[in-house]
Amino acid sequence: MNSKGLKKTMLGIPVFIVLTVLALTVVVPLLWLILSAFKTEKEILTYPPTFIPHNLTLANFTATVKRIKIITYIKNSVIYAGVTTTLAVVVNSMAGYAYARKKFFGKGAFFLITLATMMVPFQVIMVPLFLVVYKLGMYNNYLGLIIPRVAVAGSIFMMRAAFANLPVELEDAARIDGLSEFGIFWRIMLPQVKSSVICLIILSINGSWNDLLWPMIVASDTKMRTLANGLALFVGQNTIQYGASFAGALISLLPMLILYILGQRYFVEGMASSGLKS
Amino acid sequence: MSNTGAVTNTAEWEQKCSHPEYKRIQMKKNALSKTIKYLQSAEGSAYIFIFPSIILLMMFNIIPLLAAFGLSFFDVPITLDSAKFIGIENFKTAFSDARFVNSLKVTAIFTAIEVPVQVIGAMIIAAFISENNLKNKFFRAIYFLPVICSATAIGIMWKMILHSNVGFFTYALSSMGLGRINFFNDTHMAIFTVAFISIWRSFGISAIIYVTAIQNVNGSLYEAAKMDGAGSLRQFIDVTVPSIRPTFWFILMTRFAGSLQIFDIIYMTTNGGPNYTTESTVTYVYSRAFSSGSQMGYASTMSVILFAVIMIVTVIMNKRMNSEDM
Repeated sequence: MNSKGLKKTMLGIPVFIVLTVLALTVVVPLLWLILSAFKTEKEILTYPPTFIPHNLTLANFTATVKRIKIITYIKNSVIYAGVTTTLAVVVNSMAGYAYARKKFFGKGAFFLITLATMMVPFQVIMVPLFLVVYKLGMYNNYLGLIIPRVAVAGSIFMMRAAFANLPVELEDAARIDGLSEFGIFWRIMLPQVKSSVICLIILSINGSWNDLLWPMIVASDTKMRTLANGLALFVGQNTIQYGASFAGALISLLPMLILYILGQRYFVEGMASSGLKS
Repeated sequence: MSNTGAVTNTAEWEQKCSHPEYKRIQMKKNALSKTIKYLQSAEGSAYIFIFPSIILLMMFNIIPLLAAFGLSFFDVPITLDSAKFIGIENFKTAFSDARFVNSLKVTAIFTAIEVPVQVIGAMIIAAFISENNLKNKFFRAIYFLPVICSATAIGIMWKMILHSNVGFFTYALSSMGLGRINFFNDTHMAIFTVAFISIWRSFGISAIIYVTAIQNVNGSLYEAAKMDGAGSLRQFIDVTVPSIRPTFWFILMTRFAGSLQIFDIIYMTTNGGPNYTTESTVTYVYSRAFSSGSQMGYASTMSVILFAVIMIVTVIMNKRMNSEDM
């Protein structure tokens, strides 16, 4: 189908130039950030600015350990992303499975409740959500950071769509074999929707790793900060060290870049099917 | 407990079974095992499957939403241990609060810049890269790159690239003779800078969603248009655009709602400055709720007003979209 979209014939060259300029607008700043993480503080602040570092240094990375407590932040980000994602896979795919394949009393109402939460922007409920977490005694600890972020209507929808396409025979055969309902779900059905599960995992890891607002609200203690909000608060200080913040930013980008290289297709599919992230 | 003792003869057994306390416990046991049986059945197990998500969504979505409406009528002190009912006082305060009104204006300007670029710009770019070939796949992969990056890293990066003194881009522009532009500290410029960064960050996702939609357009429609002598521009306007209408509305609505909630990028770059020219509503709500002198009640009121705006916009668009289908 080479006739889809605008054809390249007479528009070819100008279009290619526009596309290339856009691509450079994306890549050059990122490249500049990566290179700058290896510059000395002095070189970062020279005028005219440099693109390629004159002297490569790792001082910025050691500075992140001393000045930013980056080890603690990385640990917290890994816990936040890891535990949230694990729980999210179980909770959301269980719900998606039930809505796709089971008939039960009140299904419509429960589904409507789930649907309604999709309409509610996080920014609108962040204040009372903080109060709920605070009153439950989960302020400044992992529970408060993780538990409210586990159930996501968008993910339930995505899993529901995935499970809806599976043949009934699969389920029936497993039932005749005497598997429990949970066993049917976990051992027979879930492996059938592997690519949706991978989408969910990647989206959830990416979302919590990059999440800024919720950790800012609920994990303000130095020991609880994640990479995203720890770095943000470091940059917000007046005595900012540019080199260290570049190195920190690079450290926060790297795992996501690797994840993107490994699973680009799942990123795209997942974000397109579960709606845009805000 | 008498009914757990060993039974020695039938008389005693019968007496025991007829004891009302024993009957009650037996019935309870029966009901319990029936419930367990039901929850293990194909139908009943559904409740176990949805239970965790329903509880979590209720506690951390539905209740906070209701609480947001409730709180907006209260005055909540910093200590968070009491709340005083003050009726619609918070709403009155909000509409006479210059900073809040300004934040609505800033949010509107931001939305007016961001949404058209995302909705129209991304559609046009998507049309150029929708065909599946190596070159287009490469461009798509590049454009999507910022989507996976954190606002923190993006903020740190652009803040320095556009730095008024040592910024790389600032330098590049001034060496082209455009003068040194103060991207973040100029009261007229700052909102455009923030909107640019925000577009830079999420343009890729809009474009990719359009690409998927364009690839799903029925190829025979193009063939028919070509027979009628339509050039590539005509094909785009007459075939592509009408065919991807649902996607257009989807992106329009989600981008609208997203822009009205802008926070991350502003927090990381200007934090509302200079002189509140980039202070969006969520930025203001955040600072009223979680900075010194916190007023949770008032912050909730402003959230509720923002929610109302988002809902109204969404409902209007939904109506337009549905009337278009008919």
